[in-house]
Amino acid sequence: MVVKKAFKDFDCEILEASNGVEGLSTAAKEMPDLVLLDVTMPVMDGVEMLTRLKCDAALKAIPVIMLTAEGGRDHVLKVAKIGVRDYVVKPFRDDVLIEKVGRVINLKPRTEAPLRTKSISDPADILVVDDKSAIIEQIRDGLKHWPWRIHGAASQGEAVDFCARTPPDLVIISLSLPDETGLALFRLIRANVCTKYTPVFGLAVRTETAQMQQAQNAGLGTVITKPIDMRDLETRIAKAMNLDTSKRYYAIESETLIMRLPETCGPSILTEIDRHLKPKIAEAVDAGHVNVVIDAHLLNSLEMAVIKLLFQAMQTCRELGLKCAMVGNSKIAAECKGIEDTRHWNFYDSIEAARAPRAT
Amino acid sequence: MSASVSNVFDVMLNLETAAVGGLDSSVPSPQSPAIRLGDAPQIVGTIGFTGEAKGLVYLYLDLAFARHCAGQILGMTESELTVAGDEVVHDAIAEVTNMTAGGFKNCLCDCGYPCMLSLPSILRGNSFYVVPVSNAMRHTLRFNCSEHTLVADLFIKLGD
Repeated sequence: MVVKKAFKDFDCEILEASNGVEGLSTAAKEMPDLVLLDVTMPVMDGVEMLTRLKCDAALKAIPVIMLTAEGGRDHVLKVAKIGVRDYVVKPFRDDVLIEKVGRVINLKPRTEAPLRTKSISDPADILVVDDKSAIIEQIRDGLKHWPWRIHGAASQGEAVDFCARTPPDLVIISLSLPDETGLALFRLIRANVCTKYTPVFGLAVRTETAQMQQAQNAGLGTVITKPIDMRDLETRIAKAMNLDTSKRYYAIESETLIMRLPETCGPSILTEIDRHLKPKIAEAVDAGHVNVVIDAHLLNSLEMAVIKLLFQAMQTCRELGLKCAMVGNSKIAAECKGIEDTRHWNFYDSIEAARAPRAT
Repeated sequence: MSASVSNVFDVMLNLETAAVGGLDSSVPSPQSPAIRLGDAPQIVGTIGFTGEAKGLVYLYLDLAFARHCAGQILGMTESELTVAGDEVVHDAIAEVTNMTAGGFKNCLCDCGYPCMLSLPSILRGNSFYVVPVSNAMRHTLRFNCSEHTLVADLFIKLGD
């Protein structure tokens, strides 16, 4: 609650966990942009939670700032070795905490009136700064299914001119621009009042760990690695721009709510799907629709977390009296047969086929 | 301890504290009675530390002052605190106790007495006794703060 007060003027959501076990569970479910972690907690203390977080492949990239009354020199060194972005000793001044958090994530002041949430299908201006035109083209091509305008700039000067003319919604800067001008550009963007809160991503080759570390030290928290995973880039852009991503996974087609699962469902994607599940079903019910089709035909593999999500979706449909059917492929159908709880699941070959029994 | 109390109340609560009457040090009795802040109901934040230095820290506040402190640290009005209930006040005072004892403990660590804090807890009432570890010393500090009295009561034993 003390932390909530510090951030009351900023547009950020604070999730609370009262101990390390709850903290790990919340981190896995919500994939937060930052964890503020105390040390002295019941059940599991902050040091153990930090250790476990940093050993978990899915969670280790989440930056952590310690916020604790434990400020002994030896203790700080021990925690620093496990891996934290900063260390704030209580008592703390709100402005100090905000400044340190602002170095890790983009903190935007809260606006007075609630704005309509922008959707992933709304137009947006994204500036890609790279002296290699092939990379700009690759990003333009990879994101072409969204109405985002991808603008290219080959140098720091071109990028500054572009930002002065049209402040972009997001900037991606190559960290391999000549003479390390990438980080200099990032600082210029942060220093300009028009782009101070614009999300900025770095772009680096996956093996250039020193370059990525340097960027993170400069406050450029998100670095996209090459070769670029377009699905991951898309998710990160949507999250950074706070876009409503429900259209990626949910649609109403021919009076049926379609829930679409992509090829791979990592924790962040499952969290997104799960977050929209109940509101989207409620919207469908509200609009008078009674049919739901879960389209899993693209899915590569049926992980336990996906099965859990599907059970939850089916349960919600049952509770609301909706008819639910699934579309799948032969691989996941076979996987289901091997699991006791999913043995009886039936998959249709297409959405049309899944809808057909309902029409009769 | 005096510096730690002043620092926490200044930084977190924006309240100035003034030490009153100097440090009162004594060998505690095996059953040391609680301090009473007059007849008003009181809240006591308590936290232990163990290691090369062992002991207990008690922070005594009258209920009205505890609510004022909770309001300051959480940015809540009196009516918001009433709606939120006693637990919020308890949590706030536990946090203040944790920070105060933490500042003191960090000094002990840096002076060569590494130790760890326990979880803070809250006592209500004024009819209890403290049973300190043997050979501990008791140091009591009184402060004036916002027309209220605040007492930091420390039981400590250094080394084995």
